[in-house]
Amino acid sequence: MHLIPQSWSHWHILLSVFPLVGLVFVLGFYVTAFASSNEAMKRICLVLFVILGLLAIPTYLSGDHSMELLSQNPKISQDLMSSHFGWGVTALAVLVLTGLTALIELWRSRRAEHLSNDALHLVLGLALITLALMVISGELGWDINHHELRMDAAAQKTPQAWSHVHIILNHFPTVGFVFALIFYIAALAMDNTVMKRASLVLFVICAILGVPTYVTGAASMWALSGVPGISKAVINAHRDMALVTLFGLAFTGVLAWIELWRFRHLGSFSNLSLYLVLAFAIITLGVMAETGHRGGQINHPEIRVATDVLPTDPKAGWSPAIESLINHVIWFVPWQTVHFFGFSLIFATALAISLRVLGFWKSMPFSAVHRLLPLGVFGVVINVFSGMLILFADSFRYLNATTFAPKVAFITIGAIAVLYFSCSERLWTVKAGEDAPMSAKWVAAVVLLSWAGVIMGGRLIPYV
Amino acid sequence: MEYGNTAVVLMVVGVSAVVLALAFFGTYCLNKIVDRNAH
Repeated sequence: MHLIPQSWSHWHILLSVFPLVGLVFVLGFYVTAFASSNEAMKRICLVLFVILGLLAIPTYLSGDHSMELLSQNPKISQDLMSSHFGWGVTALAVLVLTGLTALIELWRSRRAEHLSNDALHLVLGLALITLALMVISGELGWDINHHELRMDAAAQKTPQAWSHVHIILNHFPTVGFVFALIFYIAALAMDNTVMKRASLVLFVICAILGVPTYVTGAASMWALSGVPGISKAVINAHRDMALVTLFGLAFTGVLAWIELWRFRHLGSFSNLSLYLVLAFAIITLGVMAETGHRGGQINHPEIRVATDVLPTDPKAGWSPAIESLINHVIWFVPWQTVHFFGFSLIFATALAISLRVLGFWKSMPFSAVHRLLPLGVFGVVINVFSGMLILFADSFRYLNATTFAPKVAFITIGAIAVLYFSCSERLWTVKAGEDAPMSAKWVAAVVLLSWAGVIMGGRLIPYV
Repeated sequence: MEYGNTAVVLMVVGVSAVVLALAFFGTYCLNKIVDRNAH
């Protein structure tokens, strides 16, 4: 891997995801800052809006130079590039305006204790407009050089939607980790509890998003198999690193979640655990950068340099070896059994907690049932790994099963919704005999329905 | 390579026991930490 990109296209591929995906995460923190009335967090968000605004300049320059180079390629649609350029420039202009407004507010309020609500709302509005424009520009940009999006959908080996989702989704854990780390380091330096909790939540969300990213990646592999110019060996090198990333995301996510759970009960963090999360997050980000780089080399010959040594053996690496191993009954059946145990743990925990929230066994305070939650979270971890191994056994069949996509979507929704149980202040104060707030009841219903959907989706795979 | 039924059953029991033991032990330890620090 060459750390410093050596072409304009490479710079553009790297930089252009930050204004789009980064903006989603900064907006998430910004809304949290409003909800918790945390001034320090609002200021950090304003600084990040300024940084994103500054990033608009290299994003524009790298894009402009990439366009010059790619114009000479007859395989690339000029109309698509022109549309991407038009929407991109508009989005970057509004982004610069957002950054400038944030900078003016930071400068104006440097001696004041409070930020102006009008200015903060203006930044929020401009950021939302930028995001909408960025979505259109990003979508047109991804279409430029991705074979799988321009192939005949009917001729593809896996549904085209999987590949499309992978191209978008893979940036979320990567860019999300960068922003979570920035916030986390700032939170540790400022000893700001709300920011620490918000960053930990983001680490967990990124870890959860790793699951659909990995699964959709496996589908993209099938979509690109046999396409001229695409090397299976390069795809396998990316898959191997994606496997390590999944482990890194899981470790960081679980450690972050444990801290959120512990904080709920004790009202304080363990410094050792917080720094352990930091160490895991930094290592995982490094692994993710390499995974992303290897992924970029699959579809972007323009970022390759003469010194890059690309793999040539499609059977080399861990992924083909695991594929071969897991197809032996002595490995497959134990992990399938573990997968069923995992579901039992998840559903039992989700059922117990959700029923208390919905109004059953009111004699118990919510904090008592919340103690069960680690069992369900360990169930999720067990199932991510056993499920990944099962997927390795026959990914083509699973990815083409009608109920597999809803199952993966329900896993993502169900896992993110469970976070609410460890984050909601109102729910935490529900004592014995008290009713949970209505919003919590809705979340409990979503959790129950999602995990029921996961089990049903999984069970129907061989039959539908 | 062919495996006998006994080997498969032993693997199922072994892998499930280890994984579930880790999950229950993890939950026990976390709850113990809360109990210890709450008093």
